[in-house]
Amino acid sequence: MSLNTLELVQLAHRRYRAFTEVVTELEEGRFHFSAKDNLCANGFQARAGSAILEGYTPPFDATAIRRLKEAGGQLVGKTTMDEFGFGTFSVNSAHGIPLNPFDLERSCGGSSGGAGAAACLIPGHLAIGVSTGGSISGPASFCGVVGLTPTYGRVSRYGLIDYGNSLDKVGLLSRSSKQIQERFRAMAGPDPKDPTSCAQPPLPARGRMPDSIAVPSQALVGLNPAVLKGFQEALGRLREMGVSVSEISMPSLRYALPAYYILATSEASTNLARYCGMRFGKREQELNQHFNDFFSGVRSQGFGDEAKRRILLGTFCRMVGFRSRYYLKSLAVRQMLIHDYREVFQGHQAVLTPTMPFLPPRFEDVGHMTPLETFSADFLTVPPNLTGMPHLSLPCAYSDGLPIGMQVVVDHWKEMDLMEMASQWEGNFPYRFPEVME
Amino acid sequence: MRIGLEMHFQLPTRSKLFCSCPTGPAEPNHHICPVCLGYPGSRPSLNRKALEVGLSIARFLGCRIEERVWFSRKTYFYPDLPKNFQITQYESPLGTEGHFDLNGRRIGIWRVHLEEDPGRIRRVGRSGEEVSFVDYNRSGIPLVEIVTAPDLTSPEEARAFIDQLVTELRALCGLEAQDEQTVRVDANISVGEERVEIKNVQGLRNLERALRFEANRQTKMLAAGKRVVLETRRFDEVRKVTISAREKETEEDYGYIGEPDLGEFLVGEMARGLRIEETPLVRADRLATEYGISKATAKVMVLTSARLADLFERLCAHVPPEQALTWTTGPISSNWNALRDEGLWDDLVTIVQDEAEGRITDNEAKRRILSLAGVQVEEATVGDMDLGGTIADFIDAHPEVLADYRRNPKAVNKVIGHVMKESQGRFASKEVVEAVRKEMDRRL
Repeated sequence: MSLNTLELVQLAHRRYRAFTEVVTELEEGRFHFSAKDNLCANGFQARAGSAILEGYTPPFDATAIRRLKEAGGQLVGKTTMDEFGFGTFSVNSAHGIPLNPFDLERSCGGSSGGAGAAACLIPGHLAIGVSTGGSISGPASFCGVVGLTPTYGRVSRYGLIDYGNSLDKVGLLSRSSKQIQERFRAMAGPDPKDPTSCAQPPLPARGRMPDSIAVPSQALVGLNPAVLKGFQEALGRLREMGVSVSEISMPSLRYALPAYYILATSEASTNLARYCGMRFGKREQELNQHFNDFFSGVRSQGFGDEAKRRILLGTFCRMVGFRSRYYLKSLAVRQMLIHDYREVFQGHQAVLTPTMPFLPPRFEDVGHMTPLETFSADFLTVPPNLTGMPHLSLPCAYSDGLPIGMQVVVDHWKEMDLMEMASQWEGNFPYRFPEVME
Repeated sequence: MRIGLEMHFQLPTRSKLFCSCPTGPAEPNHHICPVCLGYPGSRPSLNRKALEVGLSIARFLGCRIEERVWFSRKTYFYPDLPKNFQITQYESPLGTEGHFDLNGRRIGIWRVHLEEDPGRIRRVGRSGEEVSFVDYNRSGIPLVEIVTAPDLTSPEEARAFIDQLVTELRALCGLEAQDEQTVRVDANISVGEERVEIKNVQGLRNLERALRFEANRQTKMLAAGKRVVLETRRFDEVRKVTISAREKETEEDYGYIGEPDLGEFLVGEMARGLRIEETPLVRADRLATEYGISKATAKVMVLTSARLADLFERLCAHVPPEQALTWTTGPISSNWNALRDEGLWDDLVTIVQDEAEGRITDNEAKRRILSLAGVQVEEATVGDMDLGGTIADFIDAHPEVLADYRRNPKAVNKVIGHVMKESQGRFASKEVVEAVRKEMDRRL
């Protein structure tokens, strides 16, 4: 018995916890889309997965949301996520942990876990996600959908609750790239309210299919055997499509992870300073005390452990005596990686790797991971996120019914080449979607 | 003694530094928006005019201006700071290595940069029962921070420095008169080796008092053989003393990072293209040098009105500077409200030139100027007048003046005054004075 869209939305909300809030009615003649809960929208709370923003109902729409509405879309719900984007499995959510549509005991990935689940469960649905270190690619891979992370600066961040201002990108997840390609253009483009979106060249009408793709050998180390096998099958398929695939070496890739975490947490520790129980959000503290004690109380109560960990780490990296060694050095590492990718792009049009090093993990396994192990799961998604290059995660194989994703990276501003590749890939590789559980 | 100042001035822009909220006065929390309140999801976007004004100030102070500038986040927690970080310029000020000439001495300017103002806290109620309110109207207003080298040598000089700097900046970019309440200054002062920072002094009078007190305090300590401790103090306005700011044991670490939302700005071309008008004191110096008038006189002239100085320079194109000066600082200045109209200046030039070249007497010139200014003057009477006769008649009618003159030479002024009035500008003042003296002396 097939469910209509509204019923699917409500099911995704109730059963799979993909949403924090949903609408009760669908409007005729509008396409439906959702937004990660760190994007502000009139009429919805924006809590970014955190208890500290309980009750925050922003008085404005994020530009990305406003533009999709103007293009004929209806915002049907806000999707669940790791608190402020801090996480790879969406388990750091204060508003429900999303369950993987392929297996309810497994994670959707993160931090845009709810977006991944919604995109997977609801045909024709467009989910807006946000990536800082891989938070669109990861859920796309684990939920078996397509996830586009545009070039940094391509889509306005006005109305996005910040994690890392030099790293955050607003992107899209959906069952097919066709959906994404149709609507992406409406979201993209300069916005004077976000200066970093104003230096972009226009989006071309069409892209070019990459005919030469590079696979860094460093990306094939430490993978789950099923992932490696699935990925290699995908490479075979690409070769059959006439694409030249070569293995290369990118030794600097290993520096991406530490540089990313230093920059992201440094920026996050300043972005999160504003949450102190004044002007908006939660405030359950006695006013009649010293300000330092007041806000420390609010923050101790309102932030989850991962948020606290990252604030501490980020603050440390900015402190006198450590700043040059960590923060400033990471800025330099980022430039070096951009340079190294550009060298590869001299001879190839794209870099390809698996998206995640393992299959969607069970929640109990996630519970046993140390923070460092969690961070390390991002080693494949972090490099293009650090350099701000656009990338796409595409389902490329299945193992025991679980999806495996591959991640294509192209040079800055070439999103349309990714779209072209996805379109051709989809002609050759049919995606599978799970049955929906009532 | 060495004194260095760190001054903050609000820029006269219509909107705030990072959003389009107005900067004028308003009821508390009426000029606010998600950006200047630091709401999650908001982000800053730079006010172009503020950047231009900041760059003009940097150029005026002769600073070196970098091609690329960017902004930084200075993080600390305080109720008046909505984001709990302030967007400022730490590694990348607009200008560095500038200078300001103060009465012939060069004061070094270390840096000029832009930053946003925090909100304002108002405490109401009795001590012990105080309630703090925060007004965010001020949050996000553009500030320029100017830091000097420790080149000032006394509290009086520090005050004079700010006075003059503000005078210049007012003319340069419309900076509002920084009165007692609005100047915000941090000062560093060292009598001996160690320096002490006095933070958050409001108003010039308090600044001078604070510096004097601190200079005294340090001098006494050194005289008693004690060491002056490097520390931060604040000025108690009521007791008029500086007090150690005990709250901070360690130097605050602001953990600076760049502000990624604003990116980098290439400002070289904009800076080079700005028109830097000649400011009053700079102009006074030039007038003194160019026209050989005294600096003090030049200063009074430009501070009365820039246009008065314009007129002076115009006159100097036709008559010697001393003459131009006499007329400008005399009857023209006295009737400036009427004579500031440039439409009258051609006539003024003619009058002054006629007098200088002997075609009319000085009294006639004065009469004509007053007439031009719309002051009621008696019609110039044409025709001859018997000067000697007029003088004789007056003295005959007032013998007591002559008697007075025996003891007091100034009594002659009475006669002169009368004759001047009677003669209505027919004779040059010099002529009248000479004739009167001669007659009085003759009669003695």
